[in-house]
Amino acid sequence: MTAEVVTGVEAAPVAVVSRGRSARLRELAPFIPAALLLGILFFLPLGVMFIFSLWTTNANLDIVPVWNLDNYAQFFNSSAYVRTLGKTVIMGAAVTAICLVIAVAVAYFLARYISRRWARLALLVIIVPFWSSYLLRVYSWQAILGEKGALNQLLVGLGLIAEPSRLFVYNDIGTFIVLTYVYMPFAILVLYASLERFDYTQLTAAQDLGASPSRAFRYILLPQIRPGLITAAIFVFIPILGEFLTPSMVGGASGLLIANLIQTFFKNALVPQGAALGFLIVAFVTVLLVVFRKYLRVEDVYARG
Amino acid sequence: MTVLDQTHSRRRFLQLTGAVGATAALGGVLQACNVIGGGGAATTGTFNWMTWSDHWIQSQLDKIATDTKISTAIQELAGNAEGYAKLKEVKGQLDKMSGDAMWVPNAYAKDGLIEPFDINELKVSTQLYSFAREFPYWQSSEGYMAYPFGWSPIMIYYDPAKVSGGPTDWQVLLDPKYKGRVVVENQPEEIVAYMARAAGFDKPYDLTDDQLTTVKGYLEKLKPNILKFAQQATDSVAAMVSGEAWLITGNLGNEDRVKDGGGPEIKGYVPSEGTVGWHDGEMIVKEGANKALIKPFLEQSQQAELIAENFLANGRPLFNEKAYKLLTDQGKQDQADRYLYSKAPDVLPTMVLKGPGTSTDKSIQLFNEVFGGG
Repeated sequence: MTAEVVTGVEAAPVAVVSRGRSARLRELAPFIPAALLLGILFFLPLGVMFIFSLWTTNANLDIVPVWNLDNYAQFFNSSAYVRTLGKTVIMGAAVTAICLVIAVAVAYFLARYISRRWARLALLVIIVPFWSSYLLRVYSWQAILGEKGALNQLLVGLGLIAEPSRLFVYNDIGTFIVLTYVYMPFAILVLYASLERFDYTQLTAAQDLGASPSRAFRYILLPQIRPGLITAAIFVFIPILGEFLTPSMVGGASGLLIANLIQTFFKNALVPQGAALGFLIVAFVTVLLVVFRKYLRVEDVYARG
Repeated sequence: MTVLDQTHSRRRFLQLTGAVGATAALGGVLQACNVIGGGGAATTGTFNWMTWSDHWIQSQLDKIATDTKISTAIQELAGNAEGYAKLKEVKGQLDKMSGDAMWVPNAYAKDGLIEPFDINELKVSTQLYSFAREFPYWQSSEGYMAYPFGWSPIMIYYDPAKVSGGPTDWQVLLDPKYKGRVVVENQPEEIVAYMARAAGFDKPYDLTDDQLTTVKGYLEKLKPNILKFAQQATDSVAAMVSGEAWLITGNLGNEDRVKDGGGPEIKGYVPSEGTVGWHDGEMIVKEGANKALIKPFLEQSQQAELIAENFLANGRPLFNEKAYKLLTDQGKQDQADRYLYSKAPDVLPTMVLKGPGTSTDKSIQLFNEVFGGG
């Protein structure tokens, strides 16, 4: 061993460094499987996708390694892609906003007004739909929102509308309703974790000092659950950017989002074109996360609740 | 927790993760050995088949597996282009592949992905209509490229109680009276092809830039009329049954499917401008590790009794002539004739067969341009 042949004053630092490195390696060892998985299953495909996005397809649908930026240029040259991305962002923002508003109310109620036991039961009920397939859930919404669906039958039965409405599905409204339903539980779970750890005596103290309930809510509660709000927003907003199933099933001909356009390329073996469009979404999400990161430190979620 | 405990926990954790990793790796190696080991000329075993859901019936596969010890591992085929791209990636991991008429010679055979065979070597092939053994585009010096299965033109179906005037062409899909009442399958290149046929173009998969500009106008008129893109044929039928859709596109046989589903009496027709259509077949993958199982399997699975059952289950014509006679004997000739079962020689030449086109990329761009962005 090297440390044994080195003597005197110089030996000590070498041994310390050696022990430090091996200890560090031992600490890192548990993360190696995850790092390998992430590397092989995420970063490597991402790299391959990026390379493909710079290649092209020939008439035989073969991917040809001719380097070019045409696939990226098509995004900016056709207003349809930019418009669709814009529409996707607006849809994502709208669904995120409504999810946060409802989730804060639900999580606040669960965390503050009912016992932990009942709250956990309620959370279980909220996540029960996740035990069934996503596809089935979206199909069931077709049956609920359709022209002959349960909602229309209810509204007609109550005399609120004279004949079944076609407003609820196969348009952007249908997509909005179903996406809200699908992603709401994520927001509730995240925000419940934040609100459960909040010290509610602070709100009482604020009101004792003259703050109105809404002022106490805005200036005492919201800042302290900000990491939870941002995490919930990330959990809802970013997956929506990649949503293709819901819009394709309840969005109709005018409800397609950007992922549906990406899918049309892959369905027709136009991999480079689809990869380029997909990579632009990845880049967009990365920029968003960097922006969000300025407002969120991961440790905040645990430290501040 | 003491330092000793911590070290122990970490060691245990590493032991456990190591054991899990080794088990997974060993499993992978064994699986790989199994795949490689299957490459011999064994006549029993399991083969991998990428196909459409109407090419098989589980009870039939179970019986074949019991009788012959040949089992199937099926992967759903979403579309020709996707299947072709997938086979190019995985090659020998698949043994049998289903594909539409012009995809067979112009993609699979051209790339050397499939193994042509002497169709007359298969005893069951004598049950086919003779013309089905002689499609010129499936002939090669090495043999026949695929075993013929089923076929259909793409038709328009309508509810006569809602759609007036007895339409005969594609133009009805563009009529503003039917806003939000049309359902087409979610196949962008096919939708572009339909509109190309509506515009009178004979080669809907090989469109010029000028033709694409014309087709764009048709697609823009079609867009407000589309209620939704059906994910599969059953979605179109369901929309017709519920009354949400008044017009749908689809294969032969939707009248009965809608009626069986409790929907209205609907009518169907082949559009007068001409239509696109398909006939498909089963190919043997050249590098398939278990390709030796395919011919024995075809001998069993293509028997007239099974094909007749498939016809009744899926309702579109097939190429097995003996099955037609069987259906006639069973009192089902009326249904078979309504589905043009014996009319393939007359109808096939009127259809533009699905195949890889030169304008695929531009057709998809056009579809995205029209249907993207709200």
